[in-house]
Amino acid sequence: MKNGKAKAILGPTLALFLICLIATVLLALTNEATATKIEQNAADTAIASRAAVLSKVGDVDVASYGDDKTEENTGLVYNEGFDDAGNVIGYIVTSAAKGYGGDVKVMIGYDLDGTIVGFTVLDCSNETPGLGQNSKTPAFMERFLGKSGTLTVDKNSNDGQNIQAITAATITSKAVVKAVNEATLAVLNLTGGADNG
Amino acid sequence: MELTKGLIAILLTAILTQNFVLSKFLGICPFLGVSKKLNTAVGMSAAVIFVMALATAVTYPINLFLESKELGYLQTIVFILVIAALVQLVEIILKKYIPALYSALGIYLPLITTNCAVLGVVILNVDNGYNFGQSMFNSVGAGLGFMLAMVMFAGVRERMESCDIPKFMRGLPITLVAASLVSVSFLGFTGIVEHIFG
Amino acid sequence: MAEKKSLFKEFSKGIVIENPVLRLVLGTCPTLATTTSVRSALGMGLAASIVLVCSNIVISALRKVIPSKVRIPAYIVVIASFVTIVQMLVKAFTPELDEQLGVFLPLIVVNCIILGRAEAFAGKNPVLASAVDGLGMGIGFTAALFLMGTVREVLGAGSFLGMSIPFLSQNPMLIFILPPGGFFVFGMLMACVNKLAESRGKPRAQLRGCDACPMAATCKLHNEAAPEQANGEEATA
Repeated sequence: MKNGKAKAILGPTLALFLICLIATVLLALTNEATATKIEQNAADTAIASRAAVLSKVGDVDVASYGDDKTEENTGLVYNEGFDDAGNVIGYIVTSAAKGYGGDVKVMIGYDLDGTIVGFTVLDCSNETPGLGQNSKTPAFMERFLGKSGTLTVDKNSNDGQNIQAITAATITSKAVVKAVNEATLAVLNLTGGADNG
Repeated sequence: MELTKGLIAILLTAILTQNFVLSKFLGICPFLGVSKKLNTAVGMSAAVIFVMALATAVTYPINLFLESKELGYLQTIVFILVIAALVQLVEIILKKYIPALYSALGIYLPLITTNCAVLGVVILNVDNGYNFGQSMFNSVGAGLGFMLAMVMFAGVRERMESCDIPKFMRGLPITLVAASLVSVSFLGFTGIVEHIFG
Repeated sequence: MAEKKSLFKEFSKGIVIENPVLRLVLGTCPTLATTTSVRSALGMGLAASIVLVCSNIVISALRKVIPSKVRIPAYIVVIASFVTIVQMLVKAFTPELDEQLGVFLPLIVVNCIILGRAEAFAGKNPVLASAVDGLGMGIGFTAALFLMGTVREVLGAGSFLGMSIPFLSQNPMLIFILPPGGFFVFGMLMACVNKLAESRGKPRAQLRGCDACPMAATCKLHNEAAPEQANGEEATA
């Protein structure tokens, strides 16, 4: 009787345990097979977005990029852009600010004067599709090119220090501009421009 | 102060602007299925809040362990099993020690195992990189948001009982359209959290 | 010959007569959440179909080995494994889709269609029939998502699969992409399907989430509510 009861509990437990074991092994194998590819993807995207925001400063091509560094005052991550001779000719800063549904991540390329030469939204997947997620469209991203200094969101105009907001997505627009302003501050700290201003 | 502000912002975002049911579409099955009467809606939501908070408290250390061992890929499978086991355990404990609470929430517990809102909230906590405090606030907020949506919707549905609805819209179609209108009302919260805590 | 015919029946029932979304009203969460564009709708449908077919095959193959006492946890483990595998593959080969589906990719685990088919079909039927059943249900799910995604993207963003449509793209009705639009389109689609079904003498689709739910047997709420629900339906009919 007792034996039978033990069997009734042990059997199913053993079966479940075996299934879990096989599942784990299968998952470990798949992970082994895909992990490098996933890492490679992340690295590829990072390189591609760097090239997209800072490929050229003036007429000089950017030949290589520095490793990730942290700007001390703002705590933002940045990379230096070098020319052929190894001189710093620009900066790439990654920044984020809280949007509608979570953080909106942006990557900005600057020349040494702190003027934006390239801009991309890395992640706006938490924003509303069709509204906040439009921050990833070229039409919006182009609005930042050539700007410098502290920017503000405006509903209608894109002149001077204004950035025209995305229709019906003011919060996301504000978040993007906030992230950009912080990045600009970081660049001014790096170039010493903050002291002059 | 900054910390409390951040936590309250997470809580309010989870309840209002990023409402689990009406803007993230998690937990639609119970939202449509158990919202016919106000008291069942409240009971179900209370059970969801309870399990969400508990599941978050339990899965947070487990996830830290998995990540430290570089076993992040086991996340989904471990989380769902932990939630399933947890629900069973809670049911047994409540039945034995707190029968009053069991009689109120017990019948909803088995339903919650396969409720995507519970698994959803623990995965979102990890995805957003929340720490323990933030995770707990997010989970409770998500649960409260679920309750708010359920209670509001139950009210709407009780009113609809006495309406003369065109024949082809009766049943599920009109329920979904009503859900759509309740969801519109939540769009009104857009920006409210950012303006308070901006 | 007869066998072939019944296999075809298993296959086709999932697409139309027992369409999981539009007739059985299962898997409503991903149906509403991932249909903001045709592309993500198709991605979701495909990912869920792969998991459905694979888990149906494995569960059917193991149906004599798995003790009935622990069958639900066992099913969940099998399904969760396939979901994680699909998740890793999507991350590796179509990272863009991973970003679009977000949390709904791991949430395929709790998609009631998959656990529901495991409990209702794969746990009782041979491997081939289960695979065909999974395939049919998967296609039915994908088709319903595609329909929802098309309506929402065309009206809400003025585009189809990212290609903009003249006139509509200048005047998009944003509300269709927003959450309320999801509920509304789904409600209207259900109304059309019900109308069609009625004209052919078939019963209307009702929320049968509970009947198909694998937890139904253990769920007292369902057992208590069932007779009352039946009365309610009669009253409205």
